[in-house]
Amino acid sequence: MLMAVKNQMRVCALAVKYNIMREMLNKVTFLTNILFMMFNNAAFIVQWVILLRLREDVGGYTMREVMLLWGLAASSFGLSHLLFSRVFSLPELIVNGKLDAYLVQPKNVLLSVMTSATSASAIGDFLYGLVLICIFCFSVRRLLLFLLFTVTGALIMTDFALLMGSLTFRFVRAEMLGSNIVASAITFATYPDGIFHGVSRFLLYNIIPVGMAIYHPVHIMIAFDVRKLLAVLGYLVFLSAAAVFVFYRGLRRYSSSSLMQSGRV
Amino acid sequence: MRKYVVIYRAVFIENLQYTANIMMGFITYLILSVVFLNLWGYMYDAPGELIAGYTKEQMIWYVMITEMIWFGARSSTVREQVAADIRGGNIAYLINKPYRYPFYILAKYTGEWNIQLSMYAGLTAVVGCMMVGALPNFHWSTLAAVVPCIVLGMTIHAVFKICISMLSFWIEDAKPFQWLYDKLILVVGTIFPVEIFPAAVQPVLKLTPIYTVCYGPAKLIVDFSVEKYLEILLAQVLYLAFGSVILLWIYERGGRKLYVNGG
Repeated sequence: MLMAVKNQMRVCALAVKYNIMREMLNKVTFLTNILFMMFNNAAFIVQWVILLRLREDVGGYTMREVMLLWGLAASSFGLSHLLFSRVFSLPELIVNGKLDAYLVQPKNVLLSVMTSATSASAIGDFLYGLVLICIFCFSVRRLLLFLLFTVTGALIMTDFALLMGSLTFRFVRAEMLGSNIVASAITFATYPDGIFHGVSRFLLYNIIPVGMAIYHPVHIMIAFDVRKLLAVLGYLVFLSAAAVFVFYRGLRRYSSSSLMQSGRV
Repeated sequence: MRKYVVIYRAVFIENLQYTANIMMGFITYLILSVVFLNLWGYMYDAPGELIAGYTKEQMIWYVMITEMIWFGARSSTVREQVAADIRGGNIAYLINKPYRYPFYILAKYTGEWNIQLSMYAGLTAVVGCMMVGALPNFHWSTLAAVVPCIVLGMTIHAVFKICISMLSFWIEDAKPFQWLYDKLILVVGTIFPVEIFPAAVQPVLKLTPIYTVCYGPAKLIVDFSVEKYLEILLAQVLYLAFGSVILLWIYERGGRKLYVNGG
């Protein structure tokens, strides 16, 4: 059992490695994608400079906390797209019947799908987060917590995308609905939770998992709270189990499109 | 000109079939509206307070209108299709057709945004009235006057997006340049009116597409004045003329490069 898990992990690591190597075939494009994504993210600093000129804090966040929030959101998003980019285009695979290629592989179907693609620009997102934390609020303890929460945040975002994407097994229209909700999670993740009240706040902490992926971790990095840490880890386990369950339930309804024959997969 | 009208009409009718898909994008628009409603609700301390000359209601309406333009202008035709045609070599076939390729893309894009923007305009009006209330001092006659500004703004946006996509003639992937342009419009153009920036930066912003694509139409809807209207209209005409020259220049230069490479 342990050997099988070890083998599966090795296959996943190799898949990610080869995905990145494939992206690096054109080195100029690869580097441009990374650098420009970092500039692209940095553009939002302008927004916060302007807003914090108008008020000392926004939702209880000063520039330092906003950068911590942005850094964690960018790194988590980057890591999830770097390792599991295909999850975010899962609905397309389902609708076009392109899961066939993964079903015939002798390894775990879900992990094979998840690790079958990467995004070069996601490296830029990941690095941008690290740069922000090193510039604005560096301490060894905070950096270690940041790395931990980047992993939990990336897994929560991936699980959420998998959950939303798996709805496509049942409803074709869920393809667009899911991708819109996943994109909205990213939007929320870059604004302080202090500005949201009522229904929107309830949604962020209960339905769209931004509260557990980003807000709670930011609070923990500012003032350590073991209960919040356990809540984040517990939520991650729960969401992962739910996402895997929904995917495999949905997979039973999947019908092949005979793409193997035409070599289009 | 007639052939472009035919292309426009065909795309327009085709897009009428996909209104349900466009409506799916409403979710993101609504979520962004909620974010900005909360954000500006927090920034304004007291009712009647002014920030950069805007009341809270005007500010939220301004942001909702610029977001409406942003979502209405979203199109894979100017962003991905041009770059894909060039990278994939399809341009070699399209370049020989009895139309100018950039104008073909522009006609196609116009057919797309006409449907999208109209739908987002309806949504903005409903959501704005429900969440913020009626826009103060708004007259329906202003809307009729602003329509040409919106059309010019959308066309300018398309011209610059096509210019960037055509960089694929020289570089493999023009996407990173699209990100930068999009962020310029999104971060600086849609979230804040120009007046909110420091006085020294404002003249520079007036030279960027932000002024003609987002700020102009939105400013005129929330706070119309004839002087501002004429100023923005003139800026848009000049900007469009300048953008069109650049577009045709890039197209001609890129076309020659394509010939050298043998398609």
